[in-house]
Amino acid sequence: METRVRAALVGLATILSVAAVSLQRASPPPARAAAVPSGTTAKVVAAAGAFLGTLNDAERSKATFSFTSTQRTGWSNLPSGIFQRNGLRMGDLTPQQRGAAMALVAAALSREGYEKVTNIMNGDEVLKNAGGGRTGGRPGPPPAGAGGRGGRGGGGLTFGQDEYYIALLGAPSMTSPWMIQFGGHHLAINVTGVGPTSVLTPSLPAAQPASYTLNGQTIRPLGDENDKGFALINALNADQQKQAILSYQVRDLVLGPGADGKTIQPEGILASALDASQQTLLLDIVHEWVGILNDEAAARKMDEVKANLPRTYFAWSGATKNGGLAYYRIQGPTLVIEYAPQQGDIDHIHTIYRDPTNDYGARLVTP
Amino acid sequence: MSRHNLLLRVPMFVVFLAVASPAAAHRVDEYLQATRIAVGMDRIDVEVDLTPGMTMASDVARRVDTNGDGRVSGAEAERYGREILESLSLTLDGRRVPIVFVAVHVPELADMTLGTGTIKLRAAAGISAPGSGHHQLDYANMHRSESSVFLVNALVPADARIQITNQRRDTAQHRLTLEYTVTAHVGWTVFLIMGLATVGVLGTSRLPRPSTPS
Repeated sequence: METRVRAALVGLATILSVAAVSLQRASPPPARAAAVPSGTTAKVVAAAGAFLGTLNDAERSKATFSFTSTQRTGWSNLPSGIFQRNGLRMGDLTPQQRGAAMALVAAALSREGYEKVTNIMNGDEVLKNAGGGRTGGRPGPPPAGAGGRGGRGGGGLTFGQDEYYIALLGAPSMTSPWMIQFGGHHLAINVTGVGPTSVLTPSLPAAQPASYTLNGQTIRPLGDENDKGFALINALNADQQKQAILSYQVRDLVLGPGADGKTIQPEGILASALDASQQTLLLDIVHEWVGILNDEAAARKMDEVKANLPRTYFAWSGATKNGGLAYYRIQGPTLVIEYAPQQGDIDHIHTIYRDPTNDYGARLVTP
Repeated sequence: MSRHNLLLRVPMFVVFLAVASPAAAHRVDEYLQATRIAVGMDRIDVEVDLTPGMTMASDVARRVDTNGDGRVSGAEAERYGREILESLSLTLDGRRVPIVFVAVHVPELADMTLGTGTIKLRAAAGISAPGSGHHQLDYANMHRSESSVFLVNALVPADARIQITNQRRDTAQHRLTLEYTVTAHVGWTVFLIMGLATVGVLGTSRLPRPSTPS
């Protein structure tokens, strides 16, 4: 009996010690345990295999990188001509290859996410036909010695649907980590898959023009992100707005491309200070980014966001009437979303979606 | 260069080279200056990313490429970096703290003319470890303020003893005031809890043994 009591006390001491050490710093949530690969994973892996199957050796070599390659962080929102992407350019693919590439992107994303991607690409085609935007530079011939399309340096900005690139990092697998990178002007989609789950961070959906007409329909690639943001800020009472609205202008993304691994001090109103309907509006905004990813993975991520909601901030800067110039940021322990009109132009929007604990699937692939 | 300055310079330069990355946006007529400040116990790191817009890039390029040979030498880059530093100020608890040049990366001049080239300036200020309690850090960036767009943010402190409690900026983000607290070493909490637990265990082990019937 005495031995049992002593053992119990030693155990208690150990637990207290471990708990004390853990108090020193909040640790990121543990990685989800790998389980049986899901139907979505199998579908994405099959789509990747189908895409790779359309390529010859040279093309496959150009499209694939090791999982730990520096290509992982080599993404941008910039157009071809001033940023050199690696991988395969859509405009260089055959219709069959291009179809397989887009089928892979579709498999990894949700229906709404894929639609958002194509709306952004179509918008860039509109931008090309319009001769470039006010705050987006002007297209021109490729610079001499630039080394072909997408060359770096000079004044040859190139827009349009052909200027999107696809790359795979690591071998498509049901168990091992790998990554799909798809992007071009105003778009960077980074999907890291590990077994049954996948993550979308960091990704950058943007739009210019923010609204255009295609086949008689008005398309606003980031229209919901805009409208839902304004809906939330206007759903707050005066005291809540006072907490949420920053006293200064924010004219660009704070954690855009190249800002990997940075966590800024959060600001704004805590979601715990919002009522249930306001929290629902906030989660609905978050889903605009989280829900780009396939439904299974997005649902898991939304569960995580909901669990962290009491520690999530909403910050706003700018006009509160829809149609005005406004920036907002949503920041929680595993989430950063920024929505930022560029250079005073509401027709030119950049956004970023990050997870400071899990960009590029860091939490999933760390041993 | 003082020994202290050298100590600041060497480790930062290595890190800086590893994180050099493309610009975030192609700017037209604004000079974007984005600052991130990391508050530590014995140093404050200041990262400033400067992206001149297309319409002002040639002017910035002239200031950087002082001999006009179309290339930016290390000396020219450092000279420009130090020129920017003269426009920055840092004050801790009311006392001016010198900001020391650590490193600078200047992109190709051709990239600057497209509004995509970002000058990455890294600087730091050595401070004596502030005592427990409340502290105030004031930062200002007045470099080419007439034509610039500013962002300034504090990074979440890497040291858990430092907690930022308030942030204030002017409308244009030229200035940032950070209020933060420094608490006693968290390790003491750990030792205290471990000590109490150990005492509890030892105390229990000395409890009188129940008598065994013979």
